[in-house]
Amino acid sequence: MATSQMSRPRAPVARRSRPAPKWLTGYALAAPAILLMLVIFLYPLGHSFVMSFFRWDLNSAESPFLGLSNYTDLFTGTSFGQTLRNQVIFTVASLVIEVVGGMAIAVLLSSKLRGLRPARTLLLIPPMVAPAVVGLNFRWLFNEQYGLIDAVLVRLGLPAIPWLSDPAWALVSVIIASAWQNTPLLVLLFLAGLQAIPREPLEAAAVDGASAWRTFWAIVLPLMRPVVVIAMMIRIIDLFRTFDVVWLMTQGGPGNASNLLTVEAYKLAFQSVDFGHAAAVSYVALVLSLLVLALLYGIPRLTSGRSAWQA
Amino acid sequence: MAGVTLEATRPAPVRPRRTGATVGLVARYVVLVLTVLVSIFPLAWLLITSLRTSDELFAVPVRLLPSTVTLEQYVTVFTEYEMADYVWNSIVVSLATVALVTVLALPCAYVLARFRLPGVKVVITVLLIMRMIPVIALAIPLFSVFSGIGLLDTVLGLVLTHAASKLPVAIWLMMAFIQDLPKEIEESAEIDGAGVLRKLVFVVAPLIGPGIAASAVLTFLFTWNDLLLALTLTSSEAAQTLPVGLTNFVTQFGIDWGPMSAAGVLMVVPTLLFVWFAQGYLVKGLVAGAVRG
Repeated sequence: MATSQMSRPRAPVARRSRPAPKWLTGYALAAPAILLMLVIFLYPLGHSFVMSFFRWDLNSAESPFLGLSNYTDLFTGTSFGQTLRNQVIFTVASLVIEVVGGMAIAVLLSSKLRGLRPARTLLLIPPMVAPAVVGLNFRWLFNEQYGLIDAVLVRLGLPAIPWLSDPAWALVSVIIASAWQNTPLLVLLFLAGLQAIPREPLEAAAVDGASAWRTFWAIVLPLMRPVVVIAMMIRIIDLFRTFDVVWLMTQGGPGNASNLLTVEAYKLAFQSVDFGHAAAVSYVALVLSLLVLALLYGIPRLTSGRSAWQA
Repeated sequence: MAGVTLEATRPAPVRPRRTGATVGLVARYVVLVLTVLVSIFPLAWLLITSLRTSDELFAVPVRLLPSTVTLEQYVTVFTEYEMADYVWNSIVVSLATVALVTVLALPCAYVLARFRLPGVKVVITVLLIMRMIPVIALAIPLFSVFSGIGLLDTVLGLVLTHAASKLPVAIWLMMAFIQDLPKEIEESAEIDGAGVLRKLVFVVAPLIGPGIAASAVLTFLFTWNDLLLALTLTSSEAAQTLPVGLTNFVTQFGIDWGPMSAAGVLMVVPTLLFVWFAQGYLVKGLVAGAVRG
């Protein structure tokens, strides 16, 4: 098909019944989507990357070249250090809670249980709800005067927790809200993965009298590796761009206690009107997420996944 | 391709019958019920909150169920806030984005999946990387670009932005479905004299219907749910969407919890509809989108 024509793309097509050569049709069909992405996605992205090396302030006409100083400023200032620390804590804690919790729940549910089918439908709801609504709702649940959670704690004779006003608890609150939203997604992915596991090794382990715990570590987990890898990749990408939940719960506060990279970039751009530093922060977020992905799985794995796709 | 299907209903791995089996089974049901309860209760609480009277919202101690059920919060949200504008903008932006993404993604995905042209591999790689870009990295420069060409605070600007940012996932998804089609079908259409465009519209598109549906459902929900792009690129009722409306309840008027919870419930309605009626497509899309980009 396309191959033979491609080897000689400029050769005139003999038959007149064909209005245009195939390669031209191909490019013409792909062009609108690619053009839109070039103009509205890639050009602005490149523009902001270049501008992250300039003073970029929409109010002034001059934009002197600053070299790396937008980036180095970030690391000398104290507030960015805290934001970065928050981001690391948020990412690691969320990953651990969601992956370990999701796996534990999935393993326990992975048997013939009545009601599992409707349960799976219900578990699809939290991951699909707007994160803005999740943030708003948890802000209400965590409200110290009228919120349900503190009311329950007090009823149980426990001290009320200043969830959103205490710097020590604010980030915890955000992690809880985010984990509530995303753990069900991992439960669903892991459940699907568990059901695709071949039964023979499990039966053999049962015959050999292996404990459930040992079967899980020696057989189930290694077989689940690809699913866990995919799940962690999706989550890492999204954890590094978390904004909505934080913005509606705490706006990064109190102080900087629950500030994350995307929130910091937004504040710099649209509250301090400092686009240069904001762009720098957004690129730090991108580079960090790519770095974590590369560290965990290696760039070769990413590329091999892609070529397997094309085969 | 990872063999993951959430739809799979194959019997689960067999467990040996042991004395603890019954205890284990009970434990599993407890986990099942708890997981579902924890997942659903916070949203149920939002609904309950939205049905209370304004006085009861701030009752101490907190009551579990409202003493009187009222729609007053829903009335307030439409009479005292620009809720109708937010809802309208959200619907227009989401539907227009779905239309634009579908029309642009399908031919592009077809070319990427079936044509061996120079540049195809580069485009596929760039699409994968675009999926990882933080939205804020896009929002910051777009604000400055749009303010220069008058697209700030317009529905058109928002639709173009959403379309550009949702295209990579939509194209990947449709590519996956097209590549799963046997080539013979297209070849026989070719023998019958169908041109590329005819083949795409009348042969390929109907066959990958589920893929198009999955891409449309995901594009709709991700656009509907988006806060950051709309917050950055809009500033008035002319183009502000529901999630931005939610932030307006916080920042402009203090926090008006009653109407805010009503707005939140209204925002969740399309999500529930899609989870209920399009669950299969949603799952297909999430898995394919997850695996491939």
